[in-house]
Amino acid sequence: MTKKTRNILVIIAAVAAVFVWLAAAKPSRDEMTRSLSQQLISDAGSRYSETYYDYMVFSVIRGRNVKTAVNDTYIGIAGTVAAINEGFPEKIADVLFWIPRLLSGTAVTISLTIVSVFAGLFGGVLLAFGKMSKKKILNRICGCYIFFFRGTPLLMQLFFIYYGLPQISVELTINNKFLAAFIAFSLNSAAYCAEYIRAALQSIDKGQFEASKALGFGYAQTMLLVIIPQSIRRMIPSISNEFIMILKDASLVSIIALSDLSHATRSISSSTGTALVYIPAMIIYLIITAFFTFIFNRLEKRFSIYQ
Amino acid sequence: MALIRTEKLCKSFDTTPVLKDIDLSVEQGEVVCLIGPSGAGKSTFLRSLNQLEKITSGKIFIDEELFLHREANVTVSRAEQSEYKRLLLEMGMVFQSFNLFPHKTAIENVALAPIYVKKTPRAEARDKARELLAKVGLAEKENEFPSHLSGGQQQRVAIARALAMNPKIMLFDEPTSALDPELVGEVLTVMRGLAENGMTMLVVTHEMTFAREAASRVIFMCDGTVAEQAEPSKIFTAPDNPRTKQFLSGVL
Repeated sequence: MTKKTRNILVIIAAVAAVFVWLAAAKPSRDEMTRSLSQQLISDAGSRYSETYYDYMVFSVIRGRNVKTAVNDTYIGIAGTVAAINEGFPEKIADVLFWIPRLLSGTAVTISLTIVSVFAGLFGGVLLAFGKMSKKKILNRICGCYIFFFRGTPLLMQLFFIYYGLPQISVELTINNKFLAAFIAFSLNSAAYCAEYIRAALQSIDKGQFEASKALGFGYAQTMLLVIIPQSIRRMIPSISNEFIMILKDASLVSIIALSDLSHATRSISSSTGTALVYIPAMIIYLIITAFFTFIFNRLEKRFSIYQ
Repeated sequence: MALIRTEKLCKSFDTTPVLKDIDLSVEQGEVVCLIGPSGAGKSTFLRSLNQLEKITSGKIFIDEELFLHREANVTVSRAEQSEYKRLLLEMGMVFQSFNLFPHKTAIENVALAPIYVKKTPRAEARDKARELLAKVGLAEKENEFPSHLSGGQQQRVAIARALAMNPKIMLFDEPTSALDPELVGEVLTVMRGLAENGMTMLVVTHEMTFAREAASRVIFMCDGTVAEQAEPSKIFTAPDNPRTKQFLSGVL
């Protein structure tokens, strides 16, 4: 067994253990509602305002005051962990309560990332060839595009596409938030991908071009048969990087109120008054990242068999 | 009949002249070795022939057909497109740094151009490739990637790759300069074999032993000009030009 498979098994086992523990603890719906309403009551009872920051302070103070934790040790090791804070089982109920909303946010985040990166790759290929073209005009246009989209914040681009375009002309209004986010992200991603692709293509030894030319290959054949197959492997690490960047940048869509994972997390946090929801949210991000890193590593290996 | 002939071939990089009015011809069946100090323009001359470098001015004839005529960096006339490509492919090129396609196996390297450029059926191209690999002594290495081959083996695959296009003349650009000394022999053996089978060859080389034994004519180039050309027995024993004498006394 390789070290890698062992690590994966350990992670799977840990996740399974958490589920077993949750099943054993069996937080029923009643309990969950109770814990939620208790929270609402105590929330109402407190004189803290309903703003998010005040709630965070509130929960921290509440956690510190608990001293009867020892009584809870009867649920074994898990109980010991939980007993550090009497409120812990409640929190687990909370997590289960949050999960459906987090998952629907996750679906938005993943689909937005995937379609944006794919569209970005497609645009990137065109831009990269445009920028390497000897035609001055094409070269300039692609250069300016890349300069613009790499040189301005993605947040502003997104904001402008959703809020700014309708003000230029009503016909440019994009009502679908997902579509607006997709357009902004893929336009931005195309600029980055173009540079990654260009760098990979230009990193190929010029002897490869010479050999192809001497053997009678035309430009298109040289690219398709010789240069592109070699540069794909060199692109994969940067594309993987771009993918993870977009995955995290997707959290920016909350400014146009598209309910992605970050937006869902924030709205849970502000409606329930706990910042702890960020923990499962971050774990979900890590799981997605780990999964795609794994896929990209496999791809890289597949494309480097000849080395 | 001259397979390749150049008339007043000039080449400058920016304003630095590298080749000055080269008039040379290579006859069918000849093995011509180009020797000379580095910077003499030997490689540039070879690369100018198969258009890896654009010549500044001069004429190139292949098979006594006008292939290219340029004056002052402008193409005056050249062979018509399909003819141009055919003539270009009559020259096979072997590079100093092999330039094999690293993502293709040895046999794919050899068969690639016949399949995609000459539109040879795949099976036929592979059979031919296998035959050529056997000819350069690498029959059992056909499914290896270039990274798993030694320098000498890579260069032999490169020779097979060039031969697969059925060239009439083989251009060798310092084929053994990038090799470890103990690997030089196997490549030279293959080249000698080619020469004995009547292949026309134009070889830029620093291997004086090879030039002396295999060449039918040796050309000494110096400062972008042909300083002297003669049979190897003459040039290596009694060169006319003092520059040749000086160069040979340095390398022999």
